[in-house]
This record gives sequence, C-alpha cells and structure tokens, in this order.
Amino acid sequence: MSVYPALVRPRRTVATAFVVAGMLVTRGVDAGIKLITLPPRERVEIQLDHPNVTLVEEERVVPLNAGVNEVVFAWANTQIDKESIQFRPLSDPESVRVLSVSYPPNENALTWQVASPKAGSARVRISYLIGQLDKSFAYEAVAANDEKSLTLRQYVLLHNRANETFGDAGMWPGFGERFERPIGINETKQLLSAKFENVPVRKVYTADLSEFGYLDEGKKQLRVPMHYLLKNDSANALGRFPFMYGKARVYQDDGRGTTAFLGEDWMKFTPRDDEVRLYLGVAKDVVVKRTIARRDQNRVLGNLYHYDVVVKYEIENFKDAPVVLDIAESMRSLRQEILGRDTGRNVEFELVKDTPMAEMLDKEKSTADRLLFHVPLPARGGDQKAVKATQELHVLIKNEW
Amino acid sequence: MMRRRLAWMPVLIAARADAQQNVDLSTVPPRDTVQLTIYNSEDLTLVRETRTVTFKPGVNPLQFSWASTLIDPSSVQLRFKTQGDKLDLLDTTYPHDKPQMLTWSVRSALDGDATVEITYFTSGLSWAADYVCVSNPEETKTSFDGFVRIINNSGEDYENAQVRLVVGTINLVETIAQLAQQGILSKHDADEYRAGRRRVAELGQKAKKPASDKAMKALGYAEAEVLREPKGIIKEGLSEYFIYTVEGTETIRNTWSKRMRLFAGTDAPFRIQYRYRPQEYGDQVVRLFILRNDEASDLGTTPLPDGLVRLLKDNGRDGLSVLAHQNIRYVPIGQEIELNLGPDPEVIHEQVPLRSYRDNLWFSRTGLEVRLSPGQGHKIEINDQVCGWDEHQVWTERIRNYRDKPIDVEFRRSFDGDVAFHSTLNPTLHDFRTVRFAATVAPGEKKDLTYRVSSKQGTNQEERRVTLRDGE
Repeated sequence: MSVYPALVRPRRTVATAFVVAGMLVTRGVDAGIKLITLPPRERVEIQLDHPNVTLVEEERVVPLNAGVNEVVFAWANTQIDKESIQFRPLSDPESVRVLSVSYPPNENALTWQVASPKAGSARVRISYLIGQLDKSFAYEAVAANDEKSLTLRQYVLLHNRANETFGDAGMWPGFGERFERPIGINETKQLLSAKFENVPVRKVYTADLSEFGYLDEGKKQLRVPMHYLLKNDSANALGRFPFMYGKARVYQDDGRGTTAFLGEDWMKFTPRDDEVRLYLGVAKDVVVKRTIARRDQNRVLGNLYHYDVVVKYEIENFKDAPVVLDIAESMRSLRQEILGRDTGRNVEFELVKDTPMAEMLDKEKSTADRLLFHVPLPARGGDQKAVKATQELHVLIKNEW
Repeated sequence: MMRRRLAWMPVLIAARADAQQNVDLSTVPPRDTVQLTIYNSEDLTLVRETRTVTFKPGVNPLQFSWASTLIDPSSVQLRFKTQGDKLDLLDTTYPHDKPQMLTWSVRSALDGDATVEITYFTSGLSWAADYVCVSNPEETKTSFDGFVRIINNSGEDYENAQVRLVVGTINLVETIAQLAQQGILSKHDADEYRAGRRRVAELGQKAKKPASDKAMKALGYAEAEVLREPKGIIKEGLSEYFIYTVEGTETIRNTWSKRMRLFAGTDAPFRIQYRYRPQEYGDQVVRLFILRNDEASDLGTTPLPDGLVRLLKDNGRDGLSVLAHQNIRYVPIGQEIELNLGPDPEVIHEQVPLRSYRDNLWFSRTGLEVRLSPGQGHKIEINDQVCGWDEHQVWTERIRNYRDKPIDVEFRRSFDGDVAFHSTLNPTLHDFRTVRFAATVAPGEKKDLTYRVSSKQGTNQEERRVTLRDGE
C-alpha cells in the first residue's frame, strides 16, 4: 500500500530494536531511529459528487501517548493534493488536537503534531483530494419491440488510475445509490446507479435546415434525423434527478428474445422536466423537400422593405406507421437566405394569418429566433405509395434595409 | 543535524579584523533568541536575533557571515542590549573578497559578557493563509477555520523562533533577493535603503505586547498538564498593517514549511444567493454562500488575509462533500465573504428571446441636413435611407427551482447604447449601463421574469446609458 500513516511515539520510548520501522518513517520525516505503528484503514469513503475533484476520506484508529505525538502521513506515486490533506480526530475531538503540520522538502509526506491528554486509541479521519480517481456516466436504453417504451439504466464508471487500492470503499456519485465495493489499481468499475422501467419514448423526426442541413442539396431534400425523445419527469417514469453527460447506447427488443443495437449518442446534461434527445440516425423513409416558394420584396418607405415569404415543404412518409415530423426554421438563417446577407439586426417577422402551419406551432418551445412546428404525417397507403403532403410557412419579414 | 549557515564569530585573538594572518582562534556564540517578522506582500522578513558575547577591554573585532543565505547585506545592524554604555561600535567593514561577510570593530570598556542584537532583512521566508469551512447539511451555518503556513527557503534554519506575520502592502524600491545577490550598495544608496527598511522595522517594533487570544482561552487544558496547547495566534492592528504573532516559538527548518491554526470559527451563519452576472461569473447562474467577517458570525476578530478557502459540506452520511475551492482577497472586519459554488444542476436558467420589432424610423436624404420621419408627416422619397430607428426585444429569464427551499436569484444585465428597460420587475440600476433585478423562486416553481429592451439605433441614439421604465 503506498499510502500509510505512521504514528511515531514520543522519543523517550525509542528502542533500537525497531530500526526497520524507523527507516520506513524516514521517507517522510527527518532521519533518526523511531518507533512507529502502522494503523490500517478502518473505513474509506470516496466522494464523487463534485464534478471536477474526488475527495477520499479514510478513518484509522491511531494509538496516541499522553503528550505530543507525531503522526506521519506519506504517500508515493499517487496524485494526492498535499495542500488539501486534513486530519480530524473523531473520538474526543475536544481534547485530541492538531498543534501544527510540518511539510518536509521534496517529500510526499507531512507530519502532524497531535496533542492528546491521555494515552489511548483515537479514531481519526484523514481526508484529501486525489487525482486520477474519477468518474463518468454511461446509459443503456433497451426499447420495446414496438418502440413505445424503454428501460433506461444509468451506470457510474469509476476509473482508478490513482495507483492506490481501496478495499471496500464507500462511494457516492452525488445522487442515487451509495455503493460499497473494493477498487483495485488501474481498475474501472461500472456500477448500476439507477434503473427506470416502462419509460415512454417517442420517435421524433426533425427537419431543420440550419441545424441538420441537406441530405441532397440539388433536390433540396433535407437531412431528417430520427431521435428517441424521453421526458425527464415523473409522469414519464423519470424525473428523480438531472441526467449527467455520458454515452448512451440504445438497443431494441427484436421480438425473438434478443436485442439489436440501434446506435449510440451522447446524453447531454438534462435537468428535470427537460427532454432527452438521443440521435439514432438519418430517417430515409421520411422525405422532406424544402423550397422558397415565394419571395416578394415590398417597399415600405425609402430603402425600407417588407419581404413576403412562403417556405414550402413537400413531405412523404414511406413508413407503414403515422409519424410526427418536427419542422424548425431559424428566422435569422431564413432572412439570410432571402436577403443574401446577414444585416446583424434582430429579425422582425410575423406569421401571415393564412398559413395553416400556424396551428401546428409549438408556442412553448418557439422563440423570437426559432419556430418549431409539429406536423402529423399519415402512414403510407395500402398501395405502398406515400401520400405527398405539402405544408407552407407564410411569413412576413419586416422592416429590412 | 541541521547545518547552521549564519556564522557569528567574535575573533578573540586577532588584533584587527582585516589583519592578514593564517591562524585564527574564534568562538561561536549561539543565538539566544530569534524573532521573524514575515511580510507576505513582499519577499521580505525582518530577523531579530540576540546573542551573548564576551568582550575584553580595547577593540574587539566581530565577524558576521551568512554564506548560502538570502540576507540583504546593507540591512545588517548591531545593537547592544546590555552594557551599552561600555560598548561602542567603531566601524563596519565589508571585505571586498568575501561578499557574504562583514566585520564590526567594537570598542569595549568591559571585561565580561553583554547581550547584542543583530537585525537584518532576508528573503526566502513567506507565509500564506488558507481556510477550511464545513457547512452543516442544512446549508445554514458553517465552521470557518483559518490556518497559516510558513515556508522557509531562506537558506537558514530558524530554531525556536518567535514568528510574527504581517498583513498589508509595504513599498519596496528594490527586492531583498536582488540585494542579497548584488552585495553591498554604495554609501549613499545604502543609507537611503537602510533608512527605508528601518522604518518598516520600527513599525513592526511598535506592536503592543501580545495579549492572549480569547478564542484560545477556552481550550480546556489545566495549566499543570504537560500537554502543549495549539498555538495561540495574537492579532493586532498596526498602522496600515495587521500583525499576527504566533504564541511561543517555532522551529522552521530551511526548505520545510509549517502550518498552524490561525483561528477557529464555529457556526457562522450564511445566506445563499444565486446570481447571473456574466461579467463576473460567465454566462451562467451561479450559487454563492455569503457570510460576514463579524462577531455575529463568530469571526470578526481579525481581517482575513488573502488565501484559499476550501468549502466542504457535511453530507449527512457521516462524510464530507467538496463544494468549492476559491481564493479570497483580503477581507476587512465587517466585510462579506462570497464563496462561489458554480452552477447548480438543481436550479435551471434559460434566457429566451420572445419577440423582436422596430419602430420610430427616421430617414436621411442626400443634400438635406435634417432627418425625416413619416410619423412627423414628412414625405419619404424612394432614395431616402433609413438612418435612425428603435429596436425592441422582449426577453424572459426563466428560472426553475428543483431544490426543497426557496431561492433568491439576482440578475445583472448590461446593455450598450441608448437603452430603455421596460418591466414590472422593480429593477434598479447597478451602474449607468447595467440593470439589476431579483426574485424569489419557490421550491418546484418555474418563474418567468419578462422585460423589454428598447434600444435607440443610428441617429436616434442620443445617450449611452440605460433608463428604467414601467412595463406594459
């Protein structure tokens, strides 16, 4: 073990018979023959709840003599933050006190001068920040065969590159379960921290030129990604805590007792009540062609113009099930397309009343910069032909020059 | 054994210090006492040591040398603490071939011993404060323990030294480390330099005799006990400085450092505030613990020197959680201490633009000096150009609180140009271009703080400041 505290008894008890033990302690303190004890760890807690640092707390029972004792803490080949090391007596903290801490030069060690009013054992807690012992998160989603629901598992991955073993250490990642497991050197441990069953899932197809671009620009065909959409709230069997960033692998029950891998995506930090969107690939069966059907430049005064614009979407759903297509328009990108330049000003616009898409507007998620519409698409017909639906977004871009 | 590098040698047989002879007999009187006054704003320490020296009648050469240390030679001074009426310092010689040595000639009418005091400045000794705070699980009170760490890289061991630590910024015209390297100055420079250094030293001397720190009285040890107590640290103000005196003495070996408790505060109440101040904390809402360096917080006995604060929390499971590590600047008595915990995953902030529009348009015409506005009945022609307008944007600051307690959130938004801020949020102006408004958000609540920013653009702009207006 590369981390050990050593209790050095007061010098009056020094015996030459313990030279070997004395040599051990000279790694951390000045030379001399000393009697040491090596109290083992009684308990270790690894606190992983901070996003950037890991705190290790360990308890040891240290025999103290009446008077002033030197307790040496030394380590090698581990990235302990020397400045962060704290020593807290747990038993009789009013009497057992740290007088001072000495830091020898060029050594990964320190010496506490600990005063005790009487001889006896004292339980102490030593805490420190350690590098190369960190965590990450991973998710596994297994969708039902009908893709209506899924089972979501969250794992904590503990990476121990700290060159130190921790036997039966308690660990807490900041939420969910507390674990107690041994961790060896260079081990990565994957721990199931939460499991959510029967989570409703919605497949979302999105047509958003500014974010996802064209699949075939010549034909003005948009790239239409498909996402699994989960809502992190209790109504959707989630909502216990925010999801942290991590890789999510998605599988589907193939109906034959096994699962098929659908793809993977990065789970972004998702607060409660927000939506998790997992990108699973481009949907080739939902075809969306987007064109500017009208661009009328109407002078208002002087060099001031309004632009009457119709964006036309020709949509075909070749799937044998109805789907909902999300259509998003960045108003700044649309203006740039219309004017051929970005004026730098905010976009002033209004939806023209005759636009049927206005009824599909998601007012909650639309902003002054981005409009979002939910467009229901029927399944392909019995003759295997898709119904070609046309939607028109009619907007007036105002007061431009 | 530690090697002592500062050598103090009254040469007893040599008639003159500069006499060229190959056989010398020296005695080496040890230090009786040594006091270190360490200034943390500069690489400067005043060392004051006393030694007992036996003099014989006549002229006594005394040699003082400091090989491999960082002493400023121009600052070394000798004073007689006892028998001063029988001893006179005749001259001080800095030999040209021995840069880290000087010789004093002392005329003595005494045949016996006297206590001498030697003072000098050295570099390489420093100190730094740090603080450990542990919040209770309810996040209402925190312990607040202060520590000092003394670092000795001066080249010299200081054993059983009284240590005093000075908080405050002093003015130095040259660094001690430079002076230690370049040796003695010209006579004029040395006098100037010494006078400056002496003023600093005298300030240090004027500190009152330390009184016992009340916080250390309640340690609970009987006087008869052999046990040592934690070091009490005496704090007192001095001119623009503040001096901490470590009780008793400390041994600080060369290249070692030592950390001691400065004070212990328990149950300091604090409040929690969430802030959106992009210029200070970036484009995010951060969480702060705010406490005050005053007696009500079981603090306030001393200003807090610059130092790193380690903020932890009792996590309620017989353990600690790390909340923040933050350097604080000097905190005077009575001032607040703000500890930034960073963004909180349980408090979500979104800044949403809701609507944009323009009005109050003005036009310019080639050859015409006045502006034209259709609102004023002016006829606008085809070649007229927009030259001034008002830009309006409606925003909402959306806050969701998933904590189990209400939270206070404060926003500061800065705007360039001639801006009117329309809202019903009871805003105030933090400065001429920054609006401040605040809200309390209940547990589980989603609150929208909506306002309109109207900015005069082009030739409409008359001022460069924000005005507050009632909301629609």
